[in-house]
Amino acid sequence: MKMSASTLVIAGRIINQLVRDRRTIILIAVVPLVIASLVGVSVPDKSILDYTAPAILAVMILFFGFLLTGISFLRERSQGTLERLMASPVSRLDIVGGYLLGFLLFAVVQTMVLFFYLIYVIKVNYYGDLWQILVFQVLIGIGAVCMGTFFSVLAKNEFQMVQFIPMIIIPQMFLCGLLWPVSQMPEYLQWLANVLPMTYGVSGIRALMLQGQDLLDIGKEIGVLAAYAVGLLILSAITLRRGKG
Amino acid sequence: MPEKNFSGPAVAVDKLSFNYGRQKVLDELSLGVPGGISFGLLGPNGAGKTTLIRLLVGLLRARAGTILTLGRKPSPRIAHLIGYMPQLPSLYNELSVIQNVEFFARIYRLRDRKQRTQRVEEVIKLVDLWQHRNKSVTNLSGGMRQRASLACAIVHNPPLIFLDEPTVGLDPELRVHFWEYFQGLTASGSTLIISSHTMDDAAHCDRLAFMRDGNIIALGTPDELRQATGQAKATLEDAFLYFIKHGGVNENVG
Repeated sequence: MKMSASTLVIAGRIINQLVRDRRTIILIAVVPLVIASLVGVSVPDKSILDYTAPAILAVMILFFGFLLTGISFLRERSQGTLERLMASPVSRLDIVGGYLLGFLLFAVVQTMVLFFYLIYVIKVNYYGDLWQILVFQVLIGIGAVCMGTFFSVLAKNEFQMVQFIPMIIIPQMFLCGLLWPVSQMPEYLQWLANVLPMTYGVSGIRALMLQGQDLLDIGKEIGVLAAYAVGLLILSAITLRRGKG
Repeated sequence: MPEKNFSGPAVAVDKLSFNYGRQKVLDELSLGVPGGISFGLLGPNGAGKTTLIRLLVGLLRARAGTILTLGRKPSPRIAHLIGYMPQLPSLYNELSVIQNVEFFARIYRLRDRKQRTQRVEEVIKLVDLWQHRNKSVTNLSGGMRQRASLACAIVHNPPLIFLDEPTVGLDPELRVHFWEYFQGLTASGSTLIISSHTMDDAAHCDRLAFMRDGNIIALGTPDELRQATGQAKATLEDAFLYFIKHGGVNENVG
């Protein structure tokens, strides 16, 4: 995707907007920590915590990224500012690209806060390279932001967007291998799990954190997540067409 | 800044039809708006004014008929020549007035930082919000939001400006101020297309189109429309009622 000056202007505006909304910034940082703390104290067995924490991390990145982007993009539409942007010279790709960049910054910050909190406060053990784990988390964050953008383009109002949250996120939480290994699920559920991005997020982050593997070893997971991100971004731009009516 | 010396009509619409689902909103509407004037689209709620503006801006696609704005089909390629103020003051509530106007200045390709800063300052002063420039939009009154929204629509000094009910919710003093400014814009060569349902706004326009049920029932200057009633002291409201009663579909009295 060619990045234009307008993409950066839109991304800058989103960052400005969120930075001025201090309560949201505090919530972005605090809510994942509260949930991570809850996980830390509710799982008494350290070995189970070490095994579960990477999957919870992946799920939370996807969930918070989806939520933040989805709601914000929808608000842009309900406030009428999206219509104003669509009447301007910016392209659809500028708009979704700007959203991706703007929210990615917050998704990455949230991911880092969550990860380091799990490692240094909750004392979760990991074996892989720190930078490789962080790079993969950013990729999950990109997927989450693209997914949030796409579904908020599809939703016509807040009620529909709220329904997308359980419809899109909760089935993925059950099927991604967080609660039960995908290989032990019924065959039709395995098939479903294998087309959902969170499954690849969880399997990739487990490979990096628990087995100490490299990014090169999880090419399939990276490929699927990247394909999802690019596909959803393009679909968002197509769906967000000018002259719709 | 965009040029204002277009020689042809600012807007030319021919047999334009548009439906929302099965509901017909515009029915073979034809219209020509010369450049450099203020043109009012007058009619009750549901007459099709906002739909027509959204079609002219390129936010909706026509089912049938043709639209030419500044001689070209509405598209992102000519969007920098057009200013659009939606019915709701569509602004980023968390941002300040100056941040909102600055954002739209950059989106509308005012790339030179010095020129952009000057222009942003100029339009904010023009809408009389300079002392409130650092306030978040959330903390502004309804009238102030309308003014900030207007500043965002004209910051790139476009030759063609669409204003959808710009004076709704404004107090009489501010309304007069807005109209003084609109007249200044047309004097500098801009074309203004303004939708309204109040006859007070209509009296300020150079030309008017009375709209009803998705079509134009009369076209002309305010004086021509009043005179068409045959009453010496007819108001524009009388004229509107006259054309409804006499069913002057597409009648151009001017």
